[in-house]
Amino acid sequence: MSDPARSPSADAVLEVRGLEKHFGGLYALSGLDMEVRRGEIVSVIGPNGAGKSTLFNVITGIYEPDAGDIRYQGSTIVGLRPHQVVKLGIARTFQSVRLFANMTILENAMVGQHCRSKGGVFGSIVRTPGVRAEEDRIRQRAEEALSFFGKRLSGYRLEQPAFSLSYANRRRLEMARAMATDPQVLLLDEPTAGMNPRETLELRDHIVRMRDELGLTVVVIEHDMRVVKGVSDRVIACDYGQKIAEGTYEEVANDERVIEAYLGTKAAG
Amino acid sequence: MAARRWVRTGAFAGIVTIFLALVGLIGGFTDVFLIGDEVTFAGLMLLLPAFVAGFVAAAPRIEGGERREMSLGEAAVAAAVAAASAGFVFALAVLFTDLIGDERIRPIFLNVSPSLMEFVAFGQSTVVGAVILVALSTMAGVLGGVLRAAPPVIRRPVTAAVVVTVLFGFLQRVIPIALDQLSLERDWLYHPIHDGLTWVGAAVVAAISAGISLLNTRFGARVRGSLSSSIGGRSGLAMSPVRLIASVAAVALLIAAPLLLGSVISEVLGTVMVFALLGIGLNIVVGYAGLLDLGYVFFFALGAYSLALLTGATLNVYGVPPDPAISGDLNFYIAIPIVMLIAAAAGLLVGAPVLRLRGDYLALVTLGLGEMVTVLVGSPWLVPLVGGPSGMRGITDAAIGGFAFRDPQRFYYLALAFVALAAFLSWRLATSRIGRAWTAMREDEQTADAMGISTTRFKLLAFAIGGAIGSLGGALFAVKIGSLTPASFQVIVSIQVLGLVILGGLGSIPGVLVGALVLVGLPGLLREFEEYRFLAYGAAVVAVMVLRPQGLVPNVRRSRELQEEERAQDEWAKAVEEGETPGELGPPAEVTT
Amino acid sequence: MAPSLRGGTLAGTEAPHVAVARLGRFERLPWRRIILVVLGIVVGGVVVLGTLRTLGLDRVEGGYSGGAWRDFIVQGAAQGAIFAMIALGYSLVYGILRMINFAHGEVFMAGAFGSFFFADAYAKSGFLNRSPLLALAIVTLVAVAVSVGTAVLLERLAYRPLRNAPRLVPLITAIGATLFLQNAFRGFFGPQPYGYPKPTVLAGNITVLGVQIQRTQLLVLVVAVICMIVLQWFVATTRTGRSMRAVAQDREIASLMGINVDRVIVVTFAIGGVLAGIAGVLFSLSFEQVQFTMGFRPGIAAFTAAVLGGIGSIGGAALGGFVIGLLQAVGPPLILTGFGIPSVFSLKDAFVFLVLVLVLVFRPGGLLGTGEAEKV
Ligand SMILES: Nc1ncnc2c1ncn2[C@@H]1O[C@H](COP(=O)(O)OP(=O)(O)O)[C@@H](O)[C@H]1O
Ligand SMILES: [Mg+2]
Repeated sequence: MSDPARSPSADAVLEVRGLEKHFGGLYALSGLDMEVRRGEIVSVIGPNGAGKSTLFNVITGIYEPDAGDIRYQGSTIVGLRPHQVVKLGIARTFQSVRLFANMTILENAMVGQHCRSKGGVFGSIVRTPGVRAEEDRIRQRAEEALSFFGKRLSGYRLEQPAFSLSYANRRRLEMARAMATDPQVLLLDEPTAGMNPRETLELRDHIVRMRDELGLTVVVIEHDMRVVKGVSDRVIACDYGQKIAEGTYEEVANDERVIEAYLGTKAAG
Repeated sequence: MAARRWVRTGAFAGIVTIFLALVGLIGGFTDVFLIGDEVTFAGLMLLLPAFVAGFVAAAPRIEGGERREMSLGEAAVAAAVAAASAGFVFALAVLFTDLIGDERIRPIFLNVSPSLMEFVAFGQSTVVGAVILVALSTMAGVLGGVLRAAPPVIRRPVTAAVVVTVLFGFLQRVIPIALDQLSLERDWLYHPIHDGLTWVGAAVVAAISAGISLLNTRFGARVRGSLSSSIGGRSGLAMSPVRLIASVAAVALLIAAPLLLGSVISEVLGTVMVFALLGIGLNIVVGYAGLLDLGYVFFFALGAYSLALLTGATLNVYGVPPDPAISGDLNFYIAIPIVMLIAAAAGLLVGAPVLRLRGDYLALVTLGLGEMVTVLVGSPWLVPLVGGPSGMRGITDAAIGGFAFRDPQRFYYLALAFVALAAFLSWRLATSRIGRAWTAMREDEQTADAMGISTTRFKLLAFAIGGAIGSLGGALFAVKIGSLTPASFQVIVSIQVLGLVILGGLGSIPGVLVGALVLVGLPGLLREFEEYRFLAYGAAVVAVMVLRPQGLVPNVRRSRELQEEERAQDEWAKAVEEGETPGELGPPAEVTT
Repeated sequence: MAPSLRGGTLAGTEAPHVAVARLGRFERLPWRRIILVVLGIVVGGVVVLGTLRTLGLDRVEGGYSGGAWRDFIVQGAAQGAIFAMIALGYSLVYGILRMINFAHGEVFMAGAFGSFFFADAYAKSGFLNRSPLLALAIVTLVAVAVSVGTAVLLERLAYRPLRNAPRLVPLITAIGATLFLQNAFRGFFGPQPYGYPKPTVLAGNITVLGVQIQRTQLLVLVVAVICMIVLQWFVATTRTGRSMRAVAQDREIASLMGINVDRVIVVTFAIGGVLAGIAGVLFSLSFEQVQFTMGFRPGIAAFTAAVLGGIGSIGGAALGGFVIGLLQAVGPPLILTGFGIPSVFSLKDAFVFLVLVLVLVFRPGGLLGTGEAEKV
């Protein structure tokens, strides 16, 4: 299991303070605070439109926040471009799966290793021994990441284009691609959406394995409460761009405001 | 119902025929013979639309989700209806013109010439001519329809025979020269007086091309199988032997071409090579990185003018001192790397502020930059630097120890060497980590960024490398021509290069060569068609985009991308609905067996 | 145990793959912003410096009189009115299809060229001078018919099959169509320019509100303003206009609501054609010449105008058109003369392209628009 108490700096690997993001008059995030400790699995829940995906987009640099700070390992990452954020060690998946549909499965994962390699123009043209070795390493690393999901994405599949995959496998490939970036923090946006119950349960175990076997810190946006219950070290509930509850699954699930957010005023209004 | 569709197809073909007549592609070519005394280019243009109409009308239909092939009889009927309509529409136009009097239309539509009117009347009265026209169109259409409905083992060889024979007809100024050079007899193949193929020659060409095509069909698979085992090729050879032989032949032809074809044609081939070089460069930008650059002429001009300045060319302006404001005296081979560096730097400089723009805006910004170059090199302001409208002259001939490259045959080899080099670089890049980053970026820029690819950096890289290769093209062009004027650096260059990259198939290097040969070579070899080249360009670009987005020689991935996107989306939607399909976990049958 | 990522190759240790990367100061700098600011300062500096130096010149040194500036402005406004009308075509189509109809400049050229033969015939028969109003009305109708025909054919043959293709595909097609249309007209009518007749009533100047203005320019301004008002009314109040707005908002939903999307798109192209046809006649009357290449640069200027105003917006296109017209007429003399550049007007087009580049770099959303964030 994880060992959150090892050192003070390891305590909060990711820290979000007073985060705001507005779209016109819409406050997708309005003063959100949260922190994620090293080696834990945090679930972010909340009704649709609560701003969960926006949170990921702001953390990963796709949107710039209007106010607030995001600190990763103690230093701010606000204003960095997405590829810089990945390089620092925060990888993500998208709610609407976004693969490179016409690249092969292996190539998709190899793209993940891009930020850990540096072969340049000269090396690529001359094919220096260094570049060749690096290319081998990229490939090997990508295959490893793919084999995390067993046989589903490896073997003969490696050379198939990503568009030929089933929906569930696309989600898995997207996760493998993110894992191939050698991240410390993995942000998963509704990883089980569109999966059938069997696949969902299987993925639940995978998420736990990510923490236990790979030592990853995982933040997962999830609607399926069985998954949330099964994986979470901690749960954060959001509504209207703010954190409305935080704690263990039981605490949050029984919180009045959470119940209200899911059932109450919003649907009626 | 179906009949109405056939008539509509035919009527459209008729209108196309009228269009061809009005732009002068019929009346102006009644004396360009393709085969024997009978088949002229004008005749081809007159009947081709009807033929195509027949072909299209007989195409299989998707009915109730099922693909339904037509029987030969049905196909013939459909094609006949379509083609007769085509002929009818055109005949109506002819009759109408005759009624008003062609001399009254001519001041507006310049190509309604007496020779056109005579040709479409077949030397008869207009009414009889119209009847003949409809009859001939119908025949052409039925041919097309029957061909479409015939099984592939017939359709492919016949199509190949027709296409290659017509191509040989077009190459009537090229192939005879090669035959002469090889001291081969030519009169059996090409008519001694009017240059077209003889019927005997046409028959031989058709038979040979049909035979080769047959080898490539399933019927030929067995033959091929024994062929490749007798050659001793490894199993799992990447190319079929026919393709392998074709590739080797193509390379041999590329090397031998100037020797076979003499200096006039080598001159054209030199231009083809310059454009191939530009194509390879632009292909990196458009085909690999997915950035639509409409201002590629910028790099072409930059290369040409900076080479001129670096190697001591003089201004072409009278009354001012002949030396430009900046002038070097470098050897061509020393100047070339500098030129490329300048271009790469310019690519970075120009690219940096604009590359974050969305694709279509980027296209227009680059167009604007290209146009600015065009205006600037021709403006009075820059006369002291680049000579303004009258340009520069006295550009180096790239000599190596007295061996000059101005001569067309020699220039060809110089250009070919650079093309080979650029193709090699481009291929190596495409198959590296960098190429992977470009592909990812082209597929989905935002996701590529979110997966750790600095899109700005890789766009700039594509821009800089593409720009450097483009400037190389410009420099070679300057060497070839020996002098520069702004007229050579118009926006049309950008579009021409884009056109050949697209026609060849985005992302494909052999495609660039084919595109350059077809779009630059063919019109250059057939001087009569010079003024129609851009019309053909435009039509080709539209047709490729609408009908065959992957181009003539597709890059495998690129064609998947353009063609199968839809299928992928369907599948995806289906998969979402049904959940994962059970059979999906096991490997497909053909892998296990 | 299933193969895991443990014991990876990167470090060669038992530690899982956890990359340790740091970004240097240098990498953390907001490069794009720095480049933009530097570029902005350079451009701004050149503009200010050039203007000051030009205004400091007196007549002998190549400066301009007040009257000259007034002429530039009137000329720019008239030119801008034509750009605005063409720009509306770009903008309407963009609003509905999110596609740059690059060939729209040729739609304009087609109308102008088509109307020439009628205008020419009427001039030769004297009809043009006998009843100029009627003659010009017919000529304009012809231009409109040809432009609309071209635009609708373009949509039907070239763009409709590509409606769901990636964004660049229709743009490339449009470029091909541009080349095709230009050269088709060259094939029909030859490469030479034709002199476009102008009725005598339009010759000479007229004084409006104390400003001397060419009659043609007045006509251009009046017609353009009327067209824009009518268009605004049409889009705002008619049923078709409402359908257009609905399709612009969301094509799928509009189609679910029972709107015939194909028809709306055709109508949009047709309206663009109408405006381009009228603009074609106005342009020909102003420059008294037609040629197969005449559509290209006005087309780009108009596109620039549409972007400048915020593509997709009618008011924006109109505003952008006038701004571009004025910039093109006033900018080169005002900014470039001060640097002692000879024949500044030959750089007029380069100036437009420069504006295009700068607008797209600094305000891709246009003057009126806001920067839009794409949804993820
Ligand atoms: N790019 C955008 N432009 C405008 N509105 C946006 C954008 N992205 C998200 N929103 C809005 O912000 C709100 C929060 O969205 P999101 O973060 O996707 O919610 P969820 O919690 O369901 O993931 C929603 O109302 C959504 O419509
Ligand atoms: Mg979401």
